[in-house]
Parts: sequence; C-alpha cells; structure tokens
Amino acid sequence: MSGPDIPWYLAVASILFTIGVAGVLLRRSPLIVLLSLEIMLNAANLAFVGFSRLHGEMDGQVFALSVMAVAAAEVCVGLGLIVAMARRRLDLDVDAFTELKG
Amino acid sequence: MVFGGWLCLLAPLAGFLAITLAGTRISRNQAGVLSTASVFAGFAGAVIAFVDALGRSPDDRSELTTAWTWLTAGDFKAGVELLVDPLSLVMMLVVTGIGGLIVLYSNGYMAGEDEERRYFAYMAFFVFSMLLLVEAGNLLLLLVGWGLVGLASYLLIGFYHERPSAVLAAKKAFIMNALGDAVMALAFFLTIAKVGSLDFAPVFDAASSGALSDTVVTLIALGLLGGAVAKSAQIPLHTWLPDAMEGPTPVSALIHAATMVTAGVYLICRTHPVFEAAPDVQHLAALLGLATLLVAGVVALVQWDIKRVIAYSTMSQIGYMFLGAGVGAYGFAMFHLVTHAFFKALLFLTAGIVIHHLSGEQDIRKMGGLRRELPITHATFLIGTLALVAIPPFAGFWSKDAILASALASGGALGWVLYIGGLIGTFLTGLYALRLYFYVFRGEPRHAEHAAEDHGEAPPTMIVPALVLALGSTVVGFLAIPGVWEPFEDWLAPVVEPLVTPSATEEWLTSLVAVSFGTVGGYLAWRAFRAGREIVADGAVRRALEHKLWFDELYDALFSRPAQALAVRLRDDVEQPVVQRGLDEIAEGTLDASAVMGRAQSGLLRTYALTFAVSVSILTLVFLVVR
Repeated sequence: MSGPDIPWYLAVASILFTIGVAGVLLRRSPLIVLLSLEIMLNAANLAFVGFSRLHGEMDGQVFALSVMAVAAAEVCVGLGLIVAMARRRLDLDVDAFTELKG
Repeated sequence: MVFGGWLCLLAPLAGFLAITLAGTRISRNQAGVLSTASVFAGFAGAVIAFVDALGRSPDDRSELTTAWTWLTAGDFKAGVELLVDPLSLVMMLVVTGIGGLIVLYSNGYMAGEDEERRYFAYMAFFVFSMLLLVEAGNLLLLLVGWGLVGLASYLLIGFYHERPSAVLAAKKAFIMNALGDAVMALAFFLTIAKVGSLDFAPVFDAASSGALSDTVVTLIALGLLGGAVAKSAQIPLHTWLPDAMEGPTPVSALIHAATMVTAGVYLICRTHPVFEAAPDVQHLAALLGLATLLVAGVVALVQWDIKRVIAYSTMSQIGYMFLGAGVGAYGFAMFHLVTHAFFKALLFLTAGIVIHHLSGEQDIRKMGGLRRELPITHATFLIGTLALVAIPPFAGFWSKDAILASALASGGALGWVLYIGGLIGTFLTGLYALRLYFYVFRGEPRHAEHAAEDHGEAPPTMIVPALVLALGSTVVGFLAIPGVWEPFEDWLAPVVEPLVTPSATEEWLTSLVAVSFGTVGGYLAWRAFRAGREIVADGAVRRALEHKLWFDELYDALFSRPAQALAVRLRDDVEQPVVQRGLDEIAEGTLDASAVMGRAQSGLLRTYALTFAVSVSILTLVFLVVR
C-alpha cells in the first residue's frame, strides 16, 4: 500500500468537516452555506474512501458515489431556491427567513 | 294437536311480517283485513288443537314438541318447545278468539287514523307474543314471550306518539314490566343453578319432591310472583295500568284487560308446583290480590275517565284471580280469567263506541242519556256491567263467586280475611260499575257540544264483536255450575289439580251473599245518582282517592326523585368536574406546553443547524463513553 496512512486521510477529512460546519454555522449567505454543506459531504466522502482503502473493500467507494449523487441533487434544489430568491430580489441572508418561528 | 298449536302461534306472526314487509304497498284497509285474518287463522289453529284434545282421554291431552335446540351451554339446554295442554289451550282460545274479535273491531275503530298499518302490525305481533307466552314449553321461552308482550304493550300504549302523555305512559308501563321481567329472570338463574334446567317437568319435580331447600324455593316463587305482579298490575306494581289507557281503546281491551295483564294468573297456575312448595309466597299472592282488588275498587269510585274506571275494575278483577290462584283454586282463577276476558273486552269495546260517538270525549261527566242514542251499545254495556258485578246469570257470577267460595273453603284466619275482603270487593264493584253505567247511559244528555254531530250507532265491524262478546258474557258462565255441571274444572284438572274444592253448599251460599253485596252496591250507586250526589263525598277521603292513594307520589318520592337527585349530583360532582373539566384540562395543558415548546422554534436556520451539530456531538460523545 503506497501513499499516506489512514490517519492523514481522517485528519484532512476532519479539518474539511470542521470548516464546513463553521461555514454553515457562521456564514449568512445561503450560497456559502450551500458550499459549506458540500465541503462537509466531501469530507465524509474522503473518510469513506480512506476506510475503503484501509479495508480493501469497495463498499466505501460505492457509498462515496451515492453521496456524490445525493450532493448533486441537493445542489440542484439549493441553487434553484437561491436563484428563485434572487429573482424576487429578496435578501440573500439565511437569518432573514424566520417564518417557522413558533 | 301440535299442528294446531303451531298454526295458532305462527299465523299472527305471518300476519305481522306480511303487514310490516308490505309497507305502503297495501292499503290501510287491507292491513286491517290481513291482521284480522291472521288472528282468526290462529283461532282456527287453537280450535283444531282443542277438538283434537277433546277426542283424547283426559290424561293424554298434553303434548310437548321440540322444534330444535335453541341454546346449549354446558349441561344446560333449552329448546324451542311448544306445550299444548288443557291450560294453554284455554289461553290460546281466549287470546285468539277474543283477540280476533277485538282486531275486527279495530277495523272500524281505527278507520281514518294515521299509521293504521303500524297499528295492525303491532296487534298481530302482540297476539303472536302472547301465544308464545302461553304455548311455551319451557320457562325460558315463556320469559321470551313475557318480554315480547311487554314490548308490544309498550309500542301500543305509545301508539299516539305525538302525545307526550302517551309516551310517558308507555315508558312507565315498560319500566315497571321490566322490573318484573328482571325479577323473574333472577328466579330463572337461580333455577338453572339449582336444578340445571328450565323445562317444566324437572323444575316442578325438584320443587315438589323437596330436592330444593326452602329458601331456594321461596326465592324462586318470589321471583315468579314479582313477574306476575308487574305484568298483572297488582299492588305494588300496579300504577302503570291506569296510565296505559292512553293507548287506543281496542288495545286497552285486548292487552290491558283481556289477555296480557292476566298473564300473571296464567303464570301462577302454570308454575303452581313451585308456589305449592312455598305456601307463604302463595298466600302472599292471595293477599296482594286482595289488597289490589280493594284499593282498585275504592279508587275506581272517584274516577271521571270512562276508560280509567274500567282499568281500575280490571285491576280489581285480576286481584280476584290472584286471590283464587293464591288459595289454590287454579281452575276458578282461570275460569274467572276467561269470563273476565269476555266481559271486560266487551266493556272496553262498548266504551270505545261511546268515545267514538262523542268524538273522543272520555269524561263521564260530559256523557249521560246515551241509552236512547245508542240502544245496542247500551244493551251490551249493561250486560258487561252486570257480568262484572256478578249478577246471575251473567258470566262473572259463576266465576267470581267460585273464587270467594274457595277462599272460604281454604279455611283458617287467612281464608276468612280473603273471603270477607272479597265480599267487600263485590260491594265496591257494584258501586263503581253501576255508577259508571248511570253516568254514561242514564239521566239527561250532558254532551250538548257533541250532540249536533249524531253518528248514530257504530258500524257493523264494531257492533258485531260487541254483540258476540255480549253473548259470550252471558253464556260462558254456564261452563261451571257448582255441583251440577263443571266441565271447565274437569278440563283443567289433569294439569292443575286445585288445592281446595268448595262444596256445592258453600258455593251457593257464597253466591247468595255475594250477589246481595253486589246488588246493594248497585242500589246505593243508583240512589246516589238519583240524588245527584257523588258516592264518596268531598273531603279527605275523596282527595286521597283522587290521588289514587298517593302511590304515584310515593314512588316519585322514593325512586324517581332520588334517582334524579343522584343523576344531578353525579352530573355536578363527577361528570362536569371530572370528565368534562378533565378533557378541558388536557386540551389546555397541550396548548400551554406547545406555547413553551414553540419558543424554541426561532425560525433561524443557523440555530437549527447548531442544535443539530451540538446534539450529534453529544450523542457521539455518549456513544464513545458508554462503549
């Protein structure tokens, strides 16, 4: 087996995930939030592929592929929403949408 | 015999079903004809069975037939069984014969009434139920018939359902009868537990052989007596009968005079071995009968409603039957049942003609002088009255005096009490019966407002049954001439052996005394009428009688009001504070909780994401720690 060991992969995945979480929690632009979500998904993908390689099984890679498919679908919906919001000239600010307030 | 029994039972049922199913496809008249024909077909069945039985030897006149086993529970079995024997044959002939005449009369009486079809369907249904009661081959089936006649009575008392008083009367009758049914059912449960069967033979064997303890027999007999007292409107469960007069008059004639209310007497005669094993209960029956006949007799003296007077006289006459059955003179009790069915049905039917003639007037103060307007009705009513007062040669004379003679023959203090009470009863009968007669038919007409529309005599459908019943009230009595010719008692003797048999001397002596008592009563009624006085002068006594001795008020205070108070208390203390407030509390609690929970919903996407992230972190940590 060549290349770095599994801890390196996991470390990179954790860093990516943390960046994603921070982006989701801290940024207010829906576009950035969406991007951060993608980063988190890809962190997960990296971990999947890393473990797949560690165990020499294909399962993790299959999972990674399906996560990519889900991510693509999610981006479609998310970008569609953002475009719709922009067309109506609404503020692109996630804190401005509080209609679910109890 | 069995064929006749089944025909008799099923013909009225077929009539009831046909009228009900045909609905508005048949005209009202056709419904009446169908009902009449079905009941007369039943009568034909009864006659077939009767003729068959006559051709047999006296010991071979009972036939029990099982159609199928209806109920099985462990060792307990009850079948659909018919018992055709001399006792049930008497009842079958009375129920279908007199019932047929009354249904025929209804064709005239109910003409033009709304919902005639329903009326005729109910009448056929009643006759079927009554036949089921009298032909039942075991106690369970008897109870079924017992309940069904109560239902039919309820439906027919409440026939004018748009009148609140009729609805109330129907409910009252049903509840009081249900009380009796329940007591009877309890007695049957006890019987099943102790004897294991509800067939007549094993129960009677167990009762008379002493296989059951005294307490058990007494309880069973008390239960049966309770049912009989409720159905036959005897004290203390008598208050429903006068109110039942809210029903159409032919219903009063059929159900509340001739047949259903006498079912109690039939029950005592049918189950006489049980009563004989519990003599105290049997004496209680006699005493209740005596109390009823006296109370009803005095209350009848002050009634103004023609039907109510006759209703009280019915209670009073059934009191005589209970007295007879109570001292063990079953044959005479049954005989009085038969003669009473004739003359009481006659009185009710003629009263119906009078009421029709006066366009629904029932107050005897607004009648009078009808002798000239309704000569035939007058003659038949007079026959009915004389039969009721027990004037020879009319039917009541032969039967009532025989009961009194039996009371005398039974001896002892009880016998004397019953005898003297019964004699006072005949005196009262003379008073109230002739008071009624004079008020309605003699004197000057007091119905000016009705006189203009002179209907003349009633139509033939109404007159003919009255004439037949008048003929019956005259001749039926000759079926039992003491010491000379007693076919009625001989007929019943194989089934119900009487406990006492008065000698011919006792009978003729009693007759003499009773007839003079009745005549004196009638004479006093005449004197009072001529003088324009009431028999019971104004005062405390009259007030008491007008309140029917406060029985209704007493029951109201004892049962109705406490029940209502309890219901009100339960509503105020349980239903509203616990059930209703409880539901409100649950709803309010949910609302409050949701208000608290709602505050957590900020609507801010990032808060949700943070909550999510923190929760997942905590769960992960917990997962790691626990592992």
